Amino acid sequence: MAGGLLVQVGIALTALALAGALAHRYDQSVIPAYIVAGVLVGPNAPTLLAGLQFRLVEYREFVTVLADLGIVFLLFFLGLEFSVETLLGDWRRLATVGTVDFVVNFGLGLGLGFVAGLDVLGALFVAGVVYISSSAVVTKSLVDRGWVADPEAEAILGTLVFEDVLIAVYLALLSAVALGGGDLVDAATAVGVAFVVLGALTVAAWYGTGWVERAFAADSDELFLLRVLGVTTLVAGASLAAGVSEAVAAFFVGSAFSRTTLVDRVERVVSPARDLFAAVFFFAIGLTTDLSLLAAATGLLAVAVVLSAGGKLASGTLSGRIWGLDARRSVRVGVGLVPRGEFSLVLAAVAATVGGPVGRVVPAFAVGYVLVMSVLGTVLMSHDEVVVRPLVRLLGE
Amino acid sequence: MTVYETEVPGVGRKFELDLEGGERAVVVVHHDGKRELFVRPSPDADSERLLTLSGRQARRLGAILEGAYFQPVDLDSVDVPLGEAIIEWVTVGEDSPLVGRTLGEANVRGETGVSILAVQRDEETHANPDSAFELRVGDILVALGTREEHGPLATLVGGESGDREPTER
Repeated sequence: MAGGLLVQVGIALTALALAGALAHRYDQSVIPAYIVAGVLVGPNAPTLLAGLQFRLVEYREFVTVLADLGIVFLLFFLGLEFSVETLLGDWRRLATVGTVDFVVNFGLGLGLGFVAGLDVLGALFVAGVVYISSSAVVTKSLVDRGWVADPEAEAILGTLVFEDVLIAVYLALLSAVALGGGDLVDAATAVGVAFVVLGALTVAAWYGTGWVERAFAADSDELFLLRVLGVTTLVAGASLAAGVSEAVAAFFVGSAFSRTTLVDRVERVVSPARDLFAAVFFFAIGLTTDLSLLAAATGLLAVAVVLSAGGKLASGTLSGRIWGLDARRSVRVGVGLVPRGEFSLVLAAVAATVGGPVGRVVPAFAVGYVLVMSVLGTVLMSHDEVVVRPLVRLLGE
Repeated sequence: MTVYETEVPGVGRKFELDLEGGERAVVVVHHDGKRELFVRPSPDADSERLLTLSGRQARRLGAILEGAYFQPVDLDSVDVPLGEAIIEWVTVGEDSPLVGRTLGEANVRGETGVSILAVQRDEETHANPDSAFELRVGDILVALGTREEHGPLATLVGGESGDREPTER
């Protein structure tokens, strides 16, 4: 029934609108709000709320398509905002803090995965989920709190840039395993080939900056939007058909734009589309979340939250010192890296396609983890003195 | 005086300018054109947000700060119902038949149809002059009339018509 589908889309979007409004009202990131909206109106428990039947939206094809576009454009913007300038400008310092961040937090995640009784692949997924901070949540909080004007923001965003490169590679590797269902070696070969192709395309785009600019020079914003959406989706889709992660392809398309003068226009014109797709992606995560599965992962979740918040605080503080900041600003670097969000969920979405215990445990864990960490991270950033003061004293300054 | 410029991934660009006594002004230009102005009182202090501006407001403010800002009063928005009439400033020339005659003798309104609202002479403005007002060379007549009525007036004063732009209603 066509009318029924339209009503479901309407309910989904209205639920997102309400959730977003609530999140803004309480200075929170919209990501956890969108997930909760999906859980509430979705087919899984709770289906009964205040005596009302709450099973309004089923997981339909429209959700899948929009959610896929959400992943594609989240990664497209990651590529677009990926700053080669930042990376090359100060690569030694950046590589150092990036490595500290990776070793501490990825290592922690790997350990957690094994403790939870997962196999190597499962542990690798958990490690990725725990490792990657949320660019969306962190950047928004940096701007809202005004930290963006202070030196600690440079260290925080520098670390994020490093994480972005790593997650692109990592995502490619894991999705190759997931798609092929094969072993790591086969996957690595496939990824290698894909990277050479995509990398060559990107390099071509970089040197052909003028060409990219001409190809996308449309007078009207409408035509410009369609061109960017069209090319990005087409490349992503074609890559997926060829066995390469659509998200990684989108990252490369985005990075091809990053050196052109079109960046500001893409940000202005394409962001609203990205926001819509991403909102549906988070909503879809909520729809597929079974709270009873989440309950089963509570123990792991609690341990992970405490350890990984501590991990980011420690690695961030150390990174701040390496960056040359004073104790207070260094601790803030740690605080600023606590939020997890969209990329942990993108990894979870890939894990869901694997099946088996990994496909069950990792997504449920990731949803619960992101719900807690995005809220915790935002709250910590707005009340940073709670953490900063004792830690600064601990550092002896 | 050094300006430090850094890219802020995912946000835009940041410019920092050293001020007196360790203070620093920080400007963040967002991708969407929004500008934020901060001041950091000392290197250890937190930046305080002073202003959030749109691109347009920022350019206007920038021009004011630069001392390059001048905008005349917008005459178009002065609400005077004049219908088809326009106001012109005309100078009485040496050869004009009006020189040495009073407004009453000259019968400017009868001849041309325009009303003389005021006469500017040197530094003084004689508003609403009566019929006994005697015109001299160099007087500037502030005349109200239609475009057709201003034509004969220009001939009558024999000077170039208006050293100012006409104000059309």
